Amino acid sequence: MLIFGPSILNQVAMLIQKNMKLAEVIHHDHTLVPIINRFGIHLGFGNDNIAEICRKHKINIDFFVTILNAFHDAHYFPQKQLRNFPAALLIDYLQKAHHYFLDDKIPEIAGLINKMATEYALDKTTIGLLSNFFTGYSKELKKHIQYEEETIYPYVLALEKAQAERNPDKNPFVRVNNFSISDYETQHENVEEKLFDLKNIIIKYLPEPKDDKPGYRLLRELFTLDKELNEHARIEDLILVPKVKAMEKALKNKKE
Amino acid sequence: MKHVIIIVKYYLLQAGTEELIQEVPGLMHLKSYTGEEPRLTDIVLKHKPDVLIIHPDSLSAENASLPHKIYAHQNTNLIAIVRKNEKDRVSSDFSTVLFMEENKSVLEKKLREIMTSAGPNENNHKELSKREIVILKNIALGLTHQEIADKLFISIHTVNTHRKNINKKLGIKTVPGLIVYALLNHLIQMDEIKDKD
Repeated sequence: MLIFGPSILNQVAMLIQKNMKLAEVIHHDHTLVPIINRFGIHLGFGNDNIAEICRKHKINIDFFVTILNAFHDAHYFPQKQLRNFPAALLIDYLQKAHHYFLDDKIPEIAGLINKMATEYALDKTTIGLLSNFFTGYSKELKKHIQYEEETIYPYVLALEKAQAERNPDKNPFVRVNNFSISDYETQHENVEEKLFDLKNIIIKYLPEPKDDKPGYRLLRELFTLDKELNEHARIEDLILVPKVKAMEKALKNKKE
Repeated sequence: MKHVIIIVKYYLLQAGTEELIQEVPGLMHLKSYTGEEPRLTDIVLKHKPDVLIIHPDSLSAENASLPHKIYAHQNTNLIAIVRKNEKDRVSSDFSTVLFMEENKSVLEKKLREIMTSAGPNENNHKELSKREIVILKNIALGLTHQEIADKLFISIHTVNTHRKNINKKLGIKTVPGLIVYALLNHLIQMDEIKDKD
């Protein structure tokens, strides 16, 4: 039996391993549920350990464990052998996460803001301001995600393909010398700032509400979104970027 | 007691900074890093230091955005250590700058001032000054910093300083965020806003 502190924020990080029961992992950190969902594992998954569940769902075990750990522990750093999975797998995962943000989270929060009009007794203008601001934020997030999906991911996939081929020069997509994954790092800042502003506006500057609950509900969703986006960025910085850098280097050496 | 984290690559500079902190009552040295640790931002965020002293050149490429992120997420007093001729390169995220050329008593004095000012926290409680409200209005109306400088006959540098203080006091950094604030507080009217789209 594992006993830990009551708060998620103060939770003790553990190293998730493939022989652990997935149910126990979720007991320890329930915020991992949306992550396992992305792999096609849904609640009611039974009493199996991680390796068994992965086999059942045809999931790459190392990849799954690496992703879980990276989300669970901000200080986790995957060992080299745990980064040996195809980039295509990682990109498929990241795209699913993007769907989750754009198709689930954003509409959910937009709905909560609109609900505030009645429940919070905010006037039309204020609600309009909040929802406009959030629309602006969503647009920016979408733009960033689009950039990743239309520019970065095709580049990474082409890189992986070229690496498998004998003569990389034949591949028209790969221009290792003109573009590098380093150009892409730390692009998240502007989006982050907007979310931070929105939280502060709600915390500090809204008129006094009729009812406290809707404001708290909205705030909780915004904090969760912020946390999930940070973790998502961490996966990109921690797993995708080093992997691509290694491929770029290998390909350059091949050419010379 | 205020907890201090130091990020300096060079041993001598790091050790000197640690020593300096011990000289200032009320400051407690928590940890030192070289700036090259992977994902240092997350580590520092977790420690929630009151004061963060950084030698900006020590930060690796991966950690380059650390000061900015700490500034955006926490109420930490950011201090840069640079040479005097690097003064202009220090980003606006830092509230204090220590120069390597300065002698001990000056450095100590600067750190003591941080202690008495109670950090950026106190600043947040203060209302905006009249001048800041004017600047804020103009920003919310869609003017660029240069346009505001021309309109008010002040230098763009002054506008930048005002903007920095406004951001700090309100806890709002983006222009759309400032627009919402200005409207909520009736500093501007909806129909005054220049449509930028």
